Amino acid sequence: MVTSLFWRPLPILTLTVRQFLGGKAVRVVTALSLLPCVFAAIYLLNKSVATPQNFITNSIFRNLIAPTLLPVTVLILATGALGNEIEDRTLPYLTMKPVSRLRIVLAKFAGILVVSLPIILGGLVLAYLIVTRHQAGDLLRSLEAMLLAGAVEIVAFSAIFLLISLVIPRALLAGIVYTFAWESLLGRFLPGTYFVSIHHYVDAIYGHFAHDQNAINGLAHPTSLESAVITLGIVSIVALALATWRLRRMNLE
Amino acid sequence: MTSAIVEKPGALPVPEIGPPESGPATVIADHVSKWYGDVVAVSDVTFGLAPGVTGLLGPNGSGKSTLLKMLAGLLAPSAGGIRVLNQRVRGNAQVYRHLGLVPEQEHVYPFLTGREFVRLNALLQKLPNPDAATARAIATVDMEEPARRKIGGYSKGMRQRIKVAAALVHDPDVLLMDEPLNGMDPVQRAHTIQLIRTLGANGKTVLVSSHVLPEVERLAQNILVIINGKLAAAGDFRAIRDKIDAHDHAVRIRTNEPRRLAAALIALPATRAVRMESDGRLTAETNDVRAFYRAVPEIAKAEKIHLYEIFPTDESLTSVFSYLVER
Repeated sequence: MVTSLFWRPLPILTLTVRQFLGGKAVRVVTALSLLPCVFAAIYLLNKSVATPQNFITNSIFRNLIAPTLLPVTVLILATGALGNEIEDRTLPYLTMKPVSRLRIVLAKFAGILVVSLPIILGGLVLAYLIVTRHQAGDLLRSLEAMLLAGAVEIVAFSAIFLLISLVIPRALLAGIVYTFAWESLLGRFLPGTYFVSIHHYVDAIYGHFAHDQNAINGLAHPTSLESAVITLGIVSIVALALATWRLRRMNLE
Repeated sequence: MTSAIVEKPGALPVPEIGPPESGPATVIADHVSKWYGDVVAVSDVTFGLAPGVTGLLGPNGSGKSTLLKMLAGLLAPSAGGIRVLNQRVRGNAQVYRHLGLVPEQEHVYPFLTGREFVRLNALLQKLPNPDAATARAIATVDMEEPARRKIGGYSKGMRQRIKVAAALVHDPDVLLMDEPLNGMDPVQRAHTIQLIRTLGANGKTVLVSSHVLPEVERLAQNILVIINGKLAAAGDFRAIRDKIDAHDHAVRIRTNEPRRLAAALIALPATRAVRMESDGRLTAETNDVRAFYRAVPEIAKAEKIHLYEIFPTDESLTSVFSYLVER
């Protein structure tokens, strides 16, 4: 009997997770995910700048993680999931099998989530614990809201960046430009167009779930919890469908 | 055991190929072309393969890999059609239950052991007993011991063999192999050649690409010669060579002593005619090109004549000839 680390029903998912865990990307992603902990530790040196709740929810989550850190972190993993296999020409080992392209895309997508969710959200939880310490229990609702919004954001960006990696040759660069130009800066300079960014809906999910009126009132366009979740769900499904379509039509040199 | 050529329209002036001898074609390329912008990688190639081993021969950059990738469904032809086991390949995942590819590129997941890599392929093929299939495929390529180690530490030859095992794990009816002997030592090479011959003898359709003629000679009786993206010759290896020999050839020669060389050449039994060109070159016509090519340097040496250039005037024939005779 062969001892193998491959889980029989999900070999592509298992392969993807092992690719990530054996590569450099996961170290970069872990370092980026721990960055909020560094800021949290610095905050402890001068707590007068903000309340723990305000610091963790606004400064860390809404202004750092959601618009910039999380997209960049997911970008690194998502563009590598299929992009690296295209680059090193190992993708035919998957595509030349009686496995539909949709299953390949979904397995890669699941692999991104399996790695990114615990690392990114783990970093957020650690930062939360550092900042709130003794009053951690009092702010649990905020933590739950951040975790939910963060998880939805990870799902949406994983799907979008997986698609980008199949469409654009320099997907990492394109993703960074997209993250900074579209997700981070668009709303600041063109507030009317803010509602077409993922960040807007993540803010809406966080605000409604946390009952955070500042976040809800700060939305450029009124958006309910349901419509935010549905919109990001549709975006994710469309991105995965397009990725499947693209993978079907791709020439693998 | 033979491959059979269904048709070969538009072929260069090389041997005609006989009808299929061992059943219907399992792999068919029908007027297949592939181009990238203005660059034509494969041009209007048509052939059919029956069970047995066929060599795909041609120089580097001739379009062998592009053709194999189209046969494997990895590349979409710009024109023409491909069928494997009477099924379209491109966009048809189910055809891969019966089709295997040993790709040219070396990179294989370095973090997996050889056994894990072969088993991954068995799992993706949804085989009922992937462990048994994995063990069988690894034993076939004689890799039981190295298969326990990570592929990242493999030599090139070991990588080639584990790729062969992965391609064989589901016992495909059609196997495409892109330069499978690259990087193998002589023992591994002999073992793999024997394996390929056995596969062909057992009724599998195996297409093996190589730019090394002696390799293909040991592997396959039938060959496809692809040069500059075009199918230059197809069929039985010896028949092609014999027909090239029987074909009248015009050979152009540049020398410092054209008159003396012409006088010596006309005395050769293989020479039909020699004429002086206005640019001082000689054009010799021969009906036994191999004897002619052997004799010219000997004459030059004996007569102390310098040869600057010697080449057949028919470009297509030059290419086929250089692959089937000179190498």
